Amino acid sequence: MTSSEQPRRSETGPSGVVRVQSVGLAVVAIAVATIFVLPLLWMVTVSLRPVGLPPPRSVEWWPGDPQWQNYAEIFRLLPMGRYLLNSLAVAVVAVPLTLLTASLAGFGLAQLKDPWRSRLLMVTVFLLMVPPSAVWLFRYQMLSWTGLLTTLWSLILPAMAGGSPLLVLLFYWTFRRMPAEMIEAARLEGADALVAWRRLAMPMAKPTSAATLVLAFALFWNDFTNPVLYLYRPQTYTLPIGVQILKQMDATNWPLLMAGATFMTLPIVLLFLVLQPLFLSDKSIHALLEKG
Amino acid sequence: MRLFLLPFLLGSLLLIVLPALITVGVAFTKYNAIQPPVWVGLDNFRTLWNSPLARLSLRSSLQFIFLAVPLRVLGALALAMLLQPAGRLFGSLRAAVYLPTIIPEGAFALIFLWILNPLYGPLNAVLGGLGLPTPDWLLNPTTARLSFVLMALFTIGEGMVVLLVGLKTIPKVYYEVAKVDGAGAWQLFWRITLPLLTPWLLVLTFRDIVVSLQNTFTPSFVMTYGGPYYATTFIPLLLFELAFDLFDFGAAAAMMVVMYILTGLLVIGIINLVGLNTRDDVI
Repeated sequence: MTSSEQPRRSETGPSGVVRVQSVGLAVVAIAVATIFVLPLLWMVTVSLRPVGLPPPRSVEWWPGDPQWQNYAEIFRLLPMGRYLLNSLAVAVVAVPLTLLTASLAGFGLAQLKDPWRSRLLMVTVFLLMVPPSAVWLFRYQMLSWTGLLTTLWSLILPAMAGGSPLLVLLFYWTFRRMPAEMIEAARLEGADALVAWRRLAMPMAKPTSAATLVLAFALFWNDFTNPVLYLYRPQTYTLPIGVQILKQMDATNWPLLMAGATFMTLPIVLLFLVLQPLFLSDKSIHALLEKG
Repeated sequence: MRLFLLPFLLGSLLLIVLPALITVGVAFTKYNAIQPPVWVGLDNFRTLWNSPLARLSLRSSLQFIFLAVPLRVLGALALAMLLQPAGRLFGSLRAAVYLPTIIPEGAFALIFLWILNPLYGPLNAVLGGLGLPTPDWLLNPTTARLSFVLMALFTIGEGMVVLLVGLKTIPKVYYEVAKVDGAGAWQLFWRITLPLLTPWLLVLTFRDIVVSLQNTFTPSFVMTYGGPYYATTFIPLLLFELAFDLFDFGAAAAMMVVMYILTGLLVIGIINLVGLNTRDDVI
């Protein structure tokens, strides 16, 4: 908000009014944003309460005597280390694979000529609208026929389709802004499409790659449904199932439940906080639209 | 270069398109995932129609969609308008609002199980402190469904980002011209922001009709397992129970087809409604 060049005395008056307005706006914005952080704060607070202490009668913002050993306790109760390794294994294979297939597909889509480009775009948007539960039944069948049921591959498989059509679209929107001449020039100099993708396209797509990295990691790391549907052997359980088992063992042991939840949430939140300036900042939201 | 699209297209065909289409076929068979399917015509649909649970689930799901989707889209719009100013402060606030969207669903469900606890949950502590009524939340069918809507309102960060991008596409000149003509903030919103944002809001609404209902699966599995009195047995959970508890893949597939049809009808209905309205505006 800039103070107007020729102040119209009757309405806005001196810039002081504008400043009060924008301070008021900031206060409202901070209050609203706080509401969205509260669940996370409460999760951590409860995870540090002493086990067996009666629940609080009023809102507890921070425990008087934080019990960090609650986190060790969940490892004693359950093979959380095993679950962690499984979750990591899925993420380490599936996230790079997702980035690869999604960025290649986005690049390919951006380079297509028109009747096919818009047709495939329609298909991609349509794929976005297919509810995941629509594929539960037959994917279960396919996994059992191929012997992949109860293996971690049943969780990794979606990475081969670019994780989610949304990620393909994100890359498409980014690469669409690349001048076609650039690719042509590279080709004339003898670079093939793969080189153009690696040397020209990907370096341009850093904010998109950061966003995709976070979204893809969230997709696989947070996945609750697929493990519930397709994993039956405890050796292959991932963290979300581990926390669910914790709940089945004692649904009223809130400190340990929340310790499990916090432990599972920490990696994705850290990754998000590190990478979010790359795609939630003003500059990157602008960047998405340049030469739109 | 076309080869670049191959993994994505092939993967989508095998993992999304074929499974979704075959499910439609399975809806007309009796199938338990072990013996080969037997054609039964419309039997599965008849069974669903006569099942009080299936009808209740359908009703709860529609109620949820009609409440949650408009609130989520409007919430995302309000947040995008509120948090669009530039600067570090607002950047961090956008990140804060986005945060619940990336929390693992299982953890999120547990947090809300704590927050909504009628006796010692922080929500009722706050409400009680303010002298407001303190409902039983997940213990009562009506408030249990409302609890799910409330939870869904915390994960609108993605919609907010989409609309932030949408807001940036509106040329600044429009606002400047309107201001010179003496338009107030409210008029700017109704005359410029809202009409130009309509396509973005529509896409968001369509996706949300599918996604918000789907996202009830984990909370209903973790928090209530469909209770109390089946009030939170939304379609995804019912589907899961039919298929993976009762191994009645045919009935589950029929439920899926009913959901496809309802979603399709909703989308067509909205297009008709909004399509007419925008034409009126133009004239």
